[in-house]
Amino acid sequence: MACPTSARAALRASIRPLQTVAASPSTSTSSSLYRRHYHSYDHPPPPGPFGATESAILAAAYKHVPEHGFTQTALTHGARDAGLPDISPSVLTNGPFTLIKYHLITQRQALAERSRQLFERDDAPAGVGGKVAALTWERLLANKDIIHRWQEALAVMAQPSYVPESIKELAALSDEIWFLAGDTAVDPSWYTKRATLSMVYTTTELFMTNDHSPDYVETGKFLTRRLDEVKSVGGALGNIGQWVGFTANAGINILRSKGVRI
Amino acid sequence: MAVRPASRIYGSISRCSLRPSTNLARPFSTSRVVLASTQTPTGDRPTHFGYETVTESEKQQRVAGVFTSVAESYDKMNDLMSLGVHRLWKDHFVSSLNPGATTPIGQPQTILDVAGGTGDIAFRMQQHAQSYNSNPNVKIIVSDINPDMLAVGRQRSLALPATHQANLSFLEANAEVLPPKIEDNSLDLYTVSFGIRNFSNIPAALREAHRVLKPGGVFACLEFSKVDKYPLFNAFYKQWSFGAIPLIGQLVAGDRDSYQYLVESIERFPSQENFRDMIVDAGFEVAGKGYEDLTGGIAAIHRGIKPL
Repeated sequence: MACPTSARAALRASIRPLQTVAASPSTSTSSSLYRRHYHSYDHPPPPGPFGATESAILAAAYKHVPEHGFTQTALTHGARDAGLPDISPSVLTNGPFTLIKYHLITQRQALAERSRQLFERDDAPAGVGGKVAALTWERLLANKDIIHRWQEALAVMAQPSYVPESIKELAALSDEIWFLAGDTAVDPSWYTKRATLSMVYTTTELFMTNDHSPDYVETGKFLTRRLDEVKSVGGALGNIGQWVGFTANAGINILRSKGVRI
Repeated sequence: MAVRPASRIYGSISRCSLRPSTNLARPFSTSRVVLASTQTPTGDRPTHFGYETVTESEKQQRVAGVFTSVAESYDKMNDLMSLGVHRLWKDHFVSSLNPGATTPIGQPQTILDVAGGTGDIAFRMQQHAQSYNSNPNVKIIVSDINPDMLAVGRQRSLALPATHQANLSFLEANAEVLPPKIEDNSLDLYTVSFGIRNFSNIPAALREAHRVLKPGGVFACLEFSKVDKYPLFNAFYKQWSFGAIPLIGQLVAGDRDSYQYLVESIERFPSQENFRDMIVDAGFEVAGKGYEDLTGGIAAIHRGIKPL
C-alpha cells in the first residue's frame, strides 16, 4: 500500500503509462521480498506474488471457477489443464483462498490498463471524484463472470485466518483506485478517502451478488447512491467542522473582549 | 526388546563424556550393520549433532542410536512434549496436502513418506485418501533409515483395515541415497515429517527428493522451526524446550540424552526463510512465501513443487 509521502513523489515524477502485471513474470521467491510500499512511475512494477508454476495452475483453475467455484475441484481441473498431475495444487498453502487471492490481485492489477483506456477517451470523467466512481464501477464489472460464486468466496475470506489478508487486499484496491484517479492528498484525508471507498466498494459488491438486473443497472444505481451519500456526509461533516471552528473562535473573542486572559 | 540395554549403555556413556566417540560399543544394536552398507558419499564431512560437531557418518549412527532408544516411547513422548498439539499439526499437514484428490475420482497416486517409521503421517494420508477422497489407489511407501522405528510402524499398521494395509509398504532406506527401486520421476508426493532435521546432509536429501518426484510432484515437509516473530512466546517456548523436555524424557522414557539432542537439533535447524531457500536451491519452486507457520512457528510446513 502506498503512503501519503509517495503521492508527493509521484507528483514530481513525469507521467508515464503504468504497465500491467496481470501475467506476472516468474519468480519463485517470496512475495514479501518484492513488495513495494509505494507507487512508482520510474521503476517497473515488482514481479507478482505468484511463482511460474503457481500462476500456471491458478490461471488455468481460474477458468473453471464459473463452473466449480473457488474450490479444490477447480484447482485440480486447472492443474490438469496446465499439464500437471492432480497432486500439484497441494503446493498452494491455502488452496481455494489462494485462488480467491489470484482473482483479487489480477483484477486489481488489470485496473491500471483499464484506467488508461478509460481516461484516454474524450468522454472521460473529469475530476478525481468522477474517476473514482468510474474505476470502482470497472472493478465491480470485473466480477461479473464469477459473481454467482462470489458469496462462497466471501465466506472463505471471512474465515478468521484469512481476514487479515483479505482486508489488506481491500486496502490495496482502494489505494489503487485513488492513485489511478490521480488523487495526491497527503493530509489525514488520505486515510478517510481510502476507508470510505473500501466501505462503499464492499457494500456494493455484496449488493451485486444478489442483483439480477440486466447489465447490473441496479448495482450501478446503488453505487451512485452510496458515493453521493459519502459526498453529502463528507460535506455535512465539513460544514459542521467549519461551524464549530467559527463558533469556538467567536466565543473566545467575546471572552477576550470581556477581559478574560485566554 | 534387545535394543533397550544397548541404548542405556550408550546413554550413560555419553552422559559422562559429551565428546563424540566413534568406537562407542553398542553390541546389541542392529542399526550399525545396516548403516555400514548405506555409507553416503559425503560421510566424512563435518555436520551438527545437536550442539556438537561430528562427521556425517557419525551423525547417522548417533541419530540411529537416539531413535532406537526412543522408538517405543515415541508417541507417548510426543504427546507429553507438545501437549498433544503434534496430532493437530499432523492432521492439518495431511488434510492440506489432500492426497488422493483426483479427477476423475480414484486415479492412482504414489507417495513416499520419508522418516515416517511409526506411520503417523502415512496412516493419516491413507485414511484421508480412502475416506475423504474415496480413492483406493493411493500407494504409500513408508521409508525410514531406522529398522526399529519401522518395526513400530509395521506393528501398528496391523491394526488398520485391510484396504489400508494393502496400500502401505515399508522400506528401510537412507533419504540421501534412495534405493534404485524408487525410480526417477516416479512419485506424486514426497513427505517428511519431523525427520529432515536429523539428516546429515539436508541438501543431498532435497536433491534426491527432486530426482524421484514427477514433474509437478510436490515436496512437503513438516518440521520444527523458529518462533522469532513472537519474542515473549519464544522465551516461554525456549524455557519449555530446554527445561521441561529433557526432564520429561528422563522421567518417562528414562533417556535424557536423546531428548537433549532433540531440543538442540531443533535449535540448530535453519529458520523458515533459510530452509525455504534450501528447497529452492534443490530445484523446487515454492508458492507464495513457501512455508506456513503452525502455532506461531514452533512447527512449519514447507512445500515445493518440481517444475515441468
